[in-house]
Amino acid sequence: MPEISLGDLSLSDYGLSDRVTRLRNIYFKAIPEICIERPRLITRFSIDHGFFKSNRISILDKAGMYRYVLEQRIPVVRHSRGVDGDMQPFAFQDNQLFAGSTTSRLKGVPLYPEFLALTLWPELWTMSRRESNPFHITEADVKTLNFDVFPHWLENNILELGRKRYYDQNLQKYGRKKYDPEIKLLERLVFFLASKPECISHTIPDFSKAVKLGLRAVIDEAREKEAAVDDPSRKEFYAAVREVQEGIISYSRNLAAEAERLASLENDPGRKQELLDIAAIHRQVPEFPARSFREALTTVWICWTAAHLENPNIGLSLGRLDQVLYDAYRRDMDQGRLTVADAIELICCLWLKIGDHVPAVPEASEQLFGGTGSNQAITLGGVDRDGNDAVNDLTYVMLRATELMKLRDPNLNARYYSGVNSKDYLRRLCEVNLKTGATPALHNDRAVIKALTSKGETPEQARDYGVIGCVEPGSNGRFYGHTAAILLNLTSVLELALFNGRHRHTGLDLLISKETGDPRTFDTFEQFTGALEEQIRWIADRSTDLNNFFGKIHQDFYPTPILSSLFEGPMEKGQDLIAGGAAINSSAATIIGLADVADSLSAIEKVVFEEKAVSFGELLEALENNFEGYEALQTLLINPEKTPKYGNDDPKADANVRWLVETLDRVFGEKENYRGGKYRVGYWTMTNHAGFGRLMQAMPNGRKARENFTSGITPVSGVTPSLTKALHSVARQPASCLASGVALNLKYTPEQDREKMLDNFAATVEGYFDDAGGQSDGGMEIQFNIVTHDKLADAVLHPENYPELLVRVSGYTAYFKDLNPQMQKEIIDRTEYLLSTGKMVAFEPFPLPNKR
Amino acid sequence: MASRVRRTLLNIIPSISESAGQWALQRFSGGLVGQLGDRLTDRFLEVLLYGMDLGFSLSKDYRRNIKDFRGSYVFRTANQRVAASATFADEDMQVQARPVEDWDCRITFKDAAALRRFLFSGNQDILNSLLANEVEVEGNLNYIYRFGFLAKDLGRRLGVV
Repeated sequence: MPEISLGDLSLSDYGLSDRVTRLRNIYFKAIPEICIERPRLITRFSIDHGFFKSNRISILDKAGMYRYVLEQRIPVVRHSRGVDGDMQPFAFQDNQLFAGSTTSRLKGVPLYPEFLALTLWPELWTMSRRESNPFHITEADVKTLNFDVFPHWLENNILELGRKRYYDQNLQKYGRKKYDPEIKLLERLVFFLASKPECISHTIPDFSKAVKLGLRAVIDEAREKEAAVDDPSRKEFYAAVREVQEGIISYSRNLAAEAERLASLENDPGRKQELLDIAAIHRQVPEFPARSFREALTTVWICWTAAHLENPNIGLSLGRLDQVLYDAYRRDMDQGRLTVADAIELICCLWLKIGDHVPAVPEASEQLFGGTGSNQAITLGGVDRDGNDAVNDLTYVMLRATELMKLRDPNLNARYYSGVNSKDYLRRLCEVNLKTGATPALHNDRAVIKALTSKGETPEQARDYGVIGCVEPGSNGRFYGHTAAILLNLTSVLELALFNGRHRHTGLDLLISKETGDPRTFDTFEQFTGALEEQIRWIADRSTDLNNFFGKIHQDFYPTPILSSLFEGPMEKGQDLIAGGAAINSSAATIIGLADVADSLSAIEKVVFEEKAVSFGELLEALENNFEGYEALQTLLINPEKTPKYGNDDPKADANVRWLVETLDRVFGEKENYRGGKYRVGYWTMTNHAGFGRLMQAMPNGRKARENFTSGITPVSGVTPSLTKALHSVARQPASCLASGVALNLKYTPEQDREKMLDNFAATVEGYFDDAGGQSDGGMEIQFNIVTHDKLADAVLHPENYPELLVRVSGYTAYFKDLNPQMQKEIIDRTEYLLSTGKMVAFEPFPLPNKR
Repeated sequence: MASRVRRTLLNIIPSISESAGQWALQRFSGGLVGQLGDRLTDRFLEVLLYGMDLGFSLSKDYRRNIKDFRGSYVFRTANQRVAASATFADEDMQVQARPVEDWDCRITFKDAAALRRFLFSGNQDILNSLLANEVEVEGNLNYIYRFGFLAKDLGRRLGVV
């Protein structure tokens, strides 16, 4: 157990250095620029090596391609220009402490034509002028993409390779040409989204070996293993590992050479020395063991840029950096080679580097997912593999850097084990939330570890979990769970049960799933839940089949040698991560609309079956008319005193939530994925609860058409007046059914008496995490927005005044100004509590944005 | 009809310069500019395909967009009252006033306004078009992205995008 040597855990004497202040200002000034370096190089290599004509791409072929790109890409030591919000270039003198970049641009948008980059094709000429989150692109780059890159991928991205295979399969099976109902269901958008055509990502690499031993040792290990095995596929795997690791080393050497070149041109002695320092670091790492804290950070950073070369920047996460880097930090501190101020500056510089790229979101998707960063989660604190307190000085250094920087990326997550971690630590976590208004998210170790062990992980593996993407827990560096594989709109499943297998969005004359009975003929509530369970089974079958199908497409066309070489399992098994090489394998569905569906069940149970206030037929008519002409019924349905609502400590309402989470966990848990693992279920929604809300009609809980759904596992906004009761209801849900993580979003009003607020804040978290003497598991996760309603409303009207306003969405953090109007409304409308009273602060719902 | 225009033009003016071609494109595509602007009629699809054909005829730079491109599109309304196909091959576009059997991408749209919103999504309407079931795309989605670029690129040359 590390001893905390810091006197002031807040490190309040330390601020941003001049260097970091300047770099941070540049970061906020710059807008994202499309970078074509990666797509240009991989397209060239793919043409030259016949990949576009191949039915399979081997891991060694892929490794050769990544090595080529790593060796050919521009080694950026110093950026010299960016582009501002008026699309005007600006020059600056860079003095970052870390060299290298994920793209060739200051703030780049990397493109992955293997996945969904071609969705940007129609807007290449207009993306720099679009209203929402524009990207700068040069005319020359438009032409390169249009003429030399995108055409080659027309038939060759993952989605179309999958569609082609479906066509062939269904032609054999049904004798029908161009028949792909499985993909059609996905493309109807309202049922579920699938991430396989978009990315692999959503996992945490293991950096510890690279930091402690260096990549040369990994290469040597791979060579020995290759010589010792007979199986050709394993031999090929180890050769591929060597290939990519040589590529990463070459990239770092190229950075060293570039730093030396720049140093030779530099007249300023200070800047010259900084460049020579960078060069010396890159001559050492990541090839050889890191000898200092800065070298350890550089190793992580260079490996990270390589991981992003291979995998889209969606939810790829850094894991427990305060653990991985602690030895190097401690050694430097003990030897007097590092000060706390140095460490904070280094971490701030790394945080800025981590945010040097944003995902390529097309204009249309901005409406559903606008404002998202790349969701690179970092995890702090908690316990170690043996259950001991893992909070260390570096934890506090990283918290201070986060507090000072207030950046969207990285997405900071803090673990807390009540009774093992100190109360001072918890209080500090709350304090950082108060100061940033939105970060870090807090995770209850006790409940999370219980959830993970219930899925077969050993206690040691479970205790060593890191947070992936938004809030998903996974054993650090050894768990490949593709936690965002399926994003299931649960309200659509309810719709299928309400309308006998049909959906109002696709038309009630079209049978989408299976007929499970007309609810107007049901005599009991159990008949309805039986129908709903059948529909859940139907959608689980479809979505997992599709995910498994695309998983096999990944195996044939998208081997992952870089990620595999930085992971526990593949090296031992001689097997690619996506082929099942990871030590722990699973896939996951995350559920959108839990609270809305649960409250709808409670409404049906109480109003239709128990009180018989309306018939099922009348309820359906009211829904089809969006409650117009049925205002009295809607008033009854939305009133928490008349109709049970989740979040009020109401046993019946909470039991419906429990039934849903247990059913979903059971149904998905029976499914096996393409890597031999099982499916898990989570409840975090990113911005999808707002996006899906736009598509869906009125619901039995009184929600009208197009209104937002509720985020994550959070109760519906505005119907839970007591904070304590809301937390009880959430904490009552069984952790074992929530193994892929939850996001509970709370909004607190900032209060004048900060110390008192901090006391209440920490006590509330303790209470929510408490397992009530074993009567419940305690809540798994909680995250906050601490901002007034008025400030958010004003930020909608005057975004220019709030360029850095950070908010928690449902999992990740975002800049409020970047969110689409529907999502802004959702955050404004979230239930807001005054911690001093524990009561809801009432506001009128924010107006629904005008859309066609 | 449009393809005949194109082939005739190419025979008559084989050495037309890029700037002259650009001028001619703007001069002879007034109807299209209107359709892309504020005078939308049910003939939007026909005019768009004609404009593209004219563009391929008059502008080498625009024609470069379809170099080595082979692909077939079918455009139709749900009731099939409007149907057309565009087939790209040999640096040429053939337009037919009927659907072809062997398509790479089939776009079924509610009406001309929906199709225009879909292809010229200057105000974020692609998603609305799909979500409102105004437009359905079957087959390889990358083809519609490519067609979207061709349409937008034409609009850019005409100064309406």
